[in-house]
Amino acid sequence: MTNLEIYNNAFIECLGVTEDQLAGLKYQDVESWDSVGHMGLMAELEDAFDIMMDTDDIIDFSSYEKGKEILSSNYEIEF
Amino acid sequence: MDYVKNNRMLSLLGQRGTFGTVLNELAKDDERIVAMSADLARVSGLEKFIKNYPDRYINVGIAEENAVGMAAGIADAGKIPFVTTFSNFAAMRANEFVRHFMAYMNCNVKLVGLSSGFAMELFGTTHYGLEDVAVLRCMPDITILSPCDCMEVAKCVETAVAIDGPVYLRLSGKMNQPIVHRADYEFKVGQAITEKEGSDCVVYATGSMVSVALKAAKELESENISVKVVNIHTIKPIDRECILVNRDKKCMFSLEEHSRIGGLGTAISEVLSEEGYQGRLIRMGTLDEYKKAGTYEYMLEQHGLTVSNLVNTIKNNI
Amino acid sequence: MLDKTLELTLEGRIRKDILVAAKQAGKVGAHIAPSLSLVEICSAIFENFDESRDVFVLSKAHGALGYYATMHQVGMITDEQFNSFEINGGEFPGQPSRSANNHVDYSSGSLGMGLSYAAGRAWGDAGAGVYVVLGDGELDEGSNWEAASVISAKKLKNICAIVDCNGLQSDGKCEDILQKDLKRIWEAHGWNTIVCDGHEAKEISRIIKDINSDKPTVILAQTVKGKGVSFMENNNEWHHHELNEEQYLQAISEIEENYGLR
Repeated sequence: MTNLEIYNNAFIECLGVTEDQLAGLKYQDVESWDSVGHMGLMAELEDAFDIMMDTDDIIDFSSYEKGKEILSSNYEIEF
Repeated sequence: MDYVKNNRMLSLLGQRGTFGTVLNELAKDDERIVAMSADLARVSGLEKFIKNYPDRYINVGIAEENAVGMAAGIADAGKIPFVTTFSNFAAMRANEFVRHFMAYMNCNVKLVGLSSGFAMELFGTTHYGLEDVAVLRCMPDITILSPCDCMEVAKCVETAVAIDGPVYLRLSGKMNQPIVHRADYEFKVGQAITEKEGSDCVVYATGSMVSVALKAAKELESENISVKVVNIHTIKPIDRECILVNRDKKCMFSLEEHSRIGGLGTAISEVLSEEGYQGRLIRMGTLDEYKKAGTYEYMLEQHGLTVSNLVNTIKNNI
Repeated sequence: MLDKTLELTLEGRIRKDILVAAKQAGKVGAHIAPSLSLVEICSAIFENFDESRDVFVLSKAHGALGYYATMHQVGMITDEQFNSFEINGGEFPGQPSRSANNHVDYSSGSLGMGLSYAAGRAWGDAGAGVYVVLGDGELDEGSNWEAASVISAKKLKNICAIVDCNGLQSDGKCEDILQKDLKRIWEAHGWNTIVCDGHEAKEISRIIKDINSDKPTVILAQTVKGKGVSFMENNNEWHHHELNEEQYLQAISEIEENYGLR
């Protein structure tokens, strides 16, 4: 799987969304992406990419796009 | 919910978020569970609970005394109310209500103290919970639980439901907490857990300070100092055995994110003085003064509640 | 001489009980005058009370003896229980303390707490009638208004609060200490507020029976502290006092005079 596929899968599995919903998806756009869903998503991403995220990054992770930016600039994950 | 599987997610949520998440889970199978808050449902992680069980939640407004009194009535009507507010307001603003309803009338109320210690950061001294254990420990029959990580929060909430009597649940630390327990383990009220064996001295820690003690113990290993770390998750009733078993050690340390006066350290000193002990107990906790406000880490530093200070204190005293 | 054959009204028998128990208590004294003011309030509540369903919250704890005497006269507690008033380690101390067999629902003493507890009982069991007796002096405590607000916000209309408005508190007249327009304050908190003569048990009972409001109800019962005994009426010396033989005999004869059935 490519990093993008891994990234997308985390969203799809944790938040129960479909692939076509991902572009532009923001925190609290869907019911499942609430505070608990958010932490589930972060834990899943940490596990999938074998990283430990900083609290600031977890708080800044406000959208599908913003998340990609954080992972690539702070955790060397290329998409 | 599988707490082991979701351990990281819970630790990211922190103790407050974990509390609400777990209560929501437990409410599914136990209709007696009711949630109440003095206008702090969101920071108690109760949003899902409220959405799922709107008829089992009450916001009493910013009125902590009334929250406790009303919870007592709800408990006497056969339900199990969990009341949340910041730990200082729970223990001190509502103090006489806690004494009256939870201790004297012995109502089955579960009082949840959010963000004890310095977790409220720049909100400042008014929101720090540094005396809550001291002012509640002298009240008969109130069980005081102080979990060391988020999985332990889950176990404490389950336990609080099972206890037929008043409970004070002291939540500490911020989001993205250190994980102390990675695997499942047995949690029993009043039974401390030895997190690490050691032969030179023992550190009794509670809440957020357990992970600090473990880190210090690990650092000292490299200097050939063997430190035993005991997690005292139940401050009342205190586990006397886990203290007395270490009477052969020349030095013991207690570590808590709470005033050095009246909390865990004092509880341990009471046991040792009653039973007799030849050595020293060094109590580490917040100093007997209010410092200027700051971030969580800054405040811990100000009061010497850091790994490095614990390492030095141990080295200087054994 | 006491007339042993004289028949008294229920309110007379309750008042006589209060005096007998206060006399028996001896030097420790008892809250006599605040008990005499709430006799009709308690008897009216118990006329409408189903112990298997309802809850009695005496928040104004200084009325304890009046509460016990009423429970005694309506047959909820035995002679032996009533006679144990204020004995060491007993079930009926100077202020109510609930235990398994004393029929007391709520422990009180510290003021301004009962209404909060009542809110919880009413919310937790919509089928229960929750009666709360408060003092007008007690309403100085701000916690009452936290409770009053939540009761009205949550529309807990199965609560009936009755304020024993005897106009006196420990250090003097309520109006001289913190002036409060109680009717307006309760109404502003969203309560159905009714003012009545607090020594007309039938009237209070009728009001309780007729409550039909989508708001919680409070009855501001206008009473006289020490009601029924001339030298105690409106005399704060008798808030908590020892009763000597001479005073006792005079008080009893006044009760017989005022509450005898003829």
